[in-house]
Amino acid sequence: MKISKYPYVIQKEILENMNYVDLFLLSFVSKNMKKLIKSSQKKRFESIRPVDYHCHDISDPPFVHIPHKGDYEGIIDFENTNRNKNPIFQLNVSGKIIDFQWDDYNKVAMASFDIRDKESVIESVHNYFLDFFGPTMKYHWRVDDVEEDFNLFIPKLQNTSLCTDIRLKEDFKDMEKLEALFSSYPVFKWVGLTAALTTELFHPESKYYQAESVFVNQFQHTFPNVLRHFKGRQAIVNCGHWENLEDLIEFLNRWKSGEAFQKLEYLYFELKNGEVPESQILNEIGAKYIDESKTPPAHILPKVYDWVYCSDKPNTKPINSHTYVVRATDNRVASVMIQEKTISFGVWDKTEEAFLKLIN
Amino acid sequence: MSSTEQGTSSAAPAEPTTAPESAAAPEVPESFYYVHGKDKVVHKVSAGALQHSALIHGMISNLGYTEEQAKANPFPFENIDGDILQMVVDWCNQHKGKPTPPEDTNLPKQKEKLFDLVLAVNYLEIKELLTYCCKQVAMMVKGKSPEEIREIWMIPTDAEDEAAEKEAKKRAGKEAAGETAAAAGDAK
Repeated sequence: MKISKYPYVIQKEILENMNYVDLFLLSFVSKNMKKLIKSSQKKRFESIRPVDYHCHDISDPPFVHIPHKGDYEGIIDFENTNRNKNPIFQLNVSGKIIDFQWDDYNKVAMASFDIRDKESVIESVHNYFLDFFGPTMKYHWRVDDVEEDFNLFIPKLQNTSLCTDIRLKEDFKDMEKLEALFSSYPVFKWVGLTAALTTELFHPESKYYQAESVFVNQFQHTFPNVLRHFKGRQAIVNCGHWENLEDLIEFLNRWKSGEAFQKLEYLYFELKNGEVPESQILNEIGAKYIDESKTPPAHILPKVYDWVYCSDKPNTKPINSHTYVVRATDNRVASVMIQEKTISFGVWDKTEEAFLKLIN
Repeated sequence: MSSTEQGTSSAAPAEPTTAPESAAAPEVPESFYYVHGKDKVVHKVSAGALQHSALIHGMISNLGYTEEQAKANPFPFENIDGDILQMVVDWCNQHKGKPTPPEDTNLPKQKEKLFDLVLAVNYLEIKELLTYCCKQVAMMVKGKSPEEIREIWMIPTDAEDEAAEKEAKKRAGKEAAGETAAAAGDAK
């Protein structure tokens, strides 16, 4: 079977039915084949959001995968520990010869290398990706289960944003070490922070506050301490108990006055135990109301980072609310929706006048 | 299996045994057409089954042949091997008027047969079957190393591609030179 004898439309259809890992391996067969893959699969590659380097903990080299239809499709496993009986084949990846094996369990190409070569092997593969997937491809380097050791392995890779999921122990006190983590790396795109009982605060200038998006789980309420100096765009906060309402009101009023949180576009706060006092909050932030007989516009945005459903399409929880506040400095509107245990705050890219025109 | 003129199955449509009792509109009798491949074996296929092929559907849509005319004028597909055309006809019959399932496990496992089937199906413009076939071709290299893929799909190496390209350039140069010489000869 000479696939090169097929017309282009058939070759394209065959390639479209191949997984990313098989396309990756096929691209090493010849220069012409790589060219064919790149040109025929351009649209498919452009739809990838994004390529994920996923380290399951700080000592793990990454597993590389691509989000696909709500699931993930693996390409390469750098974990290097699951040697099997499959034959080893060598590939020249951006000038570096790397051993690979097929991993039957994860259905990916598994890179085998001396752990001291970890950085250069990953860099070579990444350089290959930059050419293979094209210059517009975005990459995430995500490190999970960061607990006590904050010395993350994060190589410098082009077009790559950093994400991390940190879980602080109940008795955690070493803020200095945690601050050092944020100051040693470029600004994170996403930070997940589970802080059970910790009430320690970040330094006002901490790079933690510069993360584009944060997802915070706190069993004890310290809101908005974790957001006090937040400079990012999106924040989701889950709290166990409600302790101090004033902090939240202060947070919303600081946005309203234009004093802080200028980049904020979405906040979702959920209280696990207790209720959110709707009227008190709305009174104290000077909320405005849309006539009950009218349908308010729904506020929804694409999440900065969603590791389950990576998408450019809007996927925050829609905010359908008759209440809103207006920022004093630029007349921008934010919808405010308070339910039994949640507060949703969605900032519109619209002035009050333009916002009111959206109402049916 | 399809009905074939030279095969064992009967070409004649079954006669209705009794008239329908209900007052429902009388059923329009199904029309049949005839196709043959390189081996000249004629296959009788219903217009319904042939709808899968955009090429044949386009050819027959305004033809209005009687049964006799259709029989006398089979569509020749000289570029398709008889056994491959048989497979195509079988598939069209099996999937007549039915939604096509997401997978088709009845495709040939032998590489060369599948290769020919893909070309035939592409020529006849049978979209769903082409998709199945391409999936099957893609499956052949799942989890294989680049060298294994090269062997299965007979992909030339870079050196072979370069040599072929040089050869093609040389041939094109010669042809161009030949044409120039011929044109000069004509001018004289």
